[in-house]
Amino acid sequence: MTTHWKFASRIFALSCLCLALVPLSAQRHDVDIAVVVHPDAPVSNLNLSDVRKVFLGDRQYWSTNIPVVLLIRAPVARERDVVLKIIYQMSESQFKQYWIAKIFRAEAATAPKVVYSNDMANQLVTAIPGAIAFIDSKDVKPGSKVVRVDGRLPGEAGYPLR
Amino acid sequence: MGSRWLLLLLFSLTTSALLAQSPPPATPTEPTVQSLLNRIQQLENRIDQLEDRERKQETAQAGAAAAPTPAETTTQAAVTTPAPTQAPPTSHMEEHASMGEIRDTERRFPSLQIRGFGDVDFSATDQKGSVSGFNLGQFVLHLASPLSEKVSFFGEVSFTAQPTGYDLSVERTIIRYDYNDYFKLSFGKYHTPIGYWNAAFHHGAWLQTTIARPEMIKFGGTFIPTHFVGVEAEGNIPSGGLGLGYNVGLGNGRSSLLSKSGDSGDSNDNRAWVANVYARPARFYGLQVGASVYRDKLTPEPGQNFGEWITAADVVWTKEKPEFLAEYANVHHRDELTTNTWDSQAFYVQLAYRLPWQQSKWKPYYRYEYIHKPEDDPTLVNVLDLSGSTLGVRYDITNYAAFKGEYRNSRHGVNEPRVNGAFFQTAFTF
Repeated sequence: MTTHWKFASRIFALSCLCLALVPLSAQRHDVDIAVVVHPDAPVSNLNLSDVRKVFLGDRQYWSTNIPVVLLIRAPVARERDVVLKIIYQMSESQFKQYWIAKIFRAEAATAPKVVYSNDMANQLVTAIPGAIAFIDSKDVKPGSKVVRVDGRLPGEAGYPLR
Repeated sequence: MGSRWLLLLLFSLTTSALLAQSPPPATPTEPTVQSLLNRIQQLENRIDQLEDRERKQETAQAGAAAAPTPAETTTQAAVTTPAPTQAPPTSHMEEHASMGEIRDTERRFPSLQIRGFGDVDFSATDQKGSVSGFNLGQFVLHLASPLSEKVSFFGEVSFTAQPTGYDLSVERTIIRYDYNDYFKLSFGKYHTPIGYWNAAFHHGAWLQTTIARPEMIKFGGTFIPTHFVGVEAEGNIPSGGLGLGYNVGLGNGRSSLLSKSGDSGDSNDNRAWVANVYARPARFYGLQVGASVYRDKLTPEPGQNFGEWITAADVVWTKEKPEFLAEYANVHHRDELTTNTWDSQAFYVQLAYRLPWQQSKWKPYYRYEYIHKPEDDPTLVNVLDLSGSTLGVRYDITNYAAFKGEYRNSRHGVNEPRVNGAFFQTAFTF
């Protein structure tokens, strides 16, 4: 009987853990992705099509003296998935092929720089003039310059990047 | 007995609660991806801890060896310490890490990137006298090197197999100065911005969906000058959501051998010019519409001069579901001595679709192409009338290699029999 109770209590504990993880997982998928730029970038509001133009490498300068530096998370990160799905509307392989063709078509000098964590993205976007990055809005460091997309900030209704 | 019932009750409660809370469109792979993300996060944290520990040890050793001078301390603080209002205070260790990461992502000049392209082909046709077999496609090296924030070099060389060896050719060599998005100036040899394909796909069959370029813009052909030596200005045109852009070029134009550009000098004292305007409307991401004009004076032989006007238009939808490419060009020649004129037309329409199954590796396509040239045009001697269809499929083995298979049915020349052919290619980049 005691063995059965032990087994039952383990099952109960496991069930509680699963129940606790489900809402956490759901919450993670609801988090908005913020567009963060270097504090000196002369931009505070962009349309989704402007963001696309920047990340496609069709707009390469914020102003004459400030080139755009694209930062993008490495594969598997959710920020990258959102960027590929909503901004590029490409698969991972299409994205790679796009940038190979872009560079060797002489339309861009370099591909986006890869960052491996949101901490790294936060640090680089504040340190590199002209940098722009997508960061999970929960991980954006206080004081960072978050750009409105279609007039909305992360967390506001209708924000397009989630 | 009672404990078994309790177990059953707990199990049913748990499963029902889980089923009630799980989102409806969940895919079978989600838990795996989630667990991978969690694992990655744990590993990142672990790396941070280890790096911190290593840095602490290094700092302790450095501190024991020599204390930093006040000047050094001041400089470091000025570069790395964020403004108090902008970010929470960070430790010296974090600042040190940040500087390391910045150095890693800093642009270095020059920084040469080389990418190679190659392909191996097989062809068999029912044309009389044709020989089936394998052949090596062009072996191509693309080079790109930013020389400063605003100056970049691009180059492209190709090795083409010939019966007696390999022909080495400089296909593109461009030095470009970027003033801003609206004005970029380049000098050198580039692909003439007439229509879409010629400036979008270069030497390297992996870049394009099909095995071969359309006949009207094939390398070594004479219908349209594929290369141009001179100066080119390009950029965006402020136009809001219309997404206008332009290319304007001035150069040597065709050499006396009309399939070649004037790499070593012009064939006459007249410069060629080209202008191309295109729109990429923001509302229709993937759509590009363009129009081009090209003007040159041809001197195939001393004393023979022809005026050349090329007008072209293109509509493309570059997304792969579907991919649609269509171009039209009219080539007008005028003999300056006799004032005789000739007009030749060509177009192609290509449709492809990236199938969603099997990780989107399959891409079937179809192309129809057409060329008409007046028989007595003395300039486009090597151009034949063409009406042909290509039906094929591309299979992307990896992100960097593809197999392609094609069936072609075409008629070259007037009153000639149609030719059927099977073509296969493996194209790759490395």
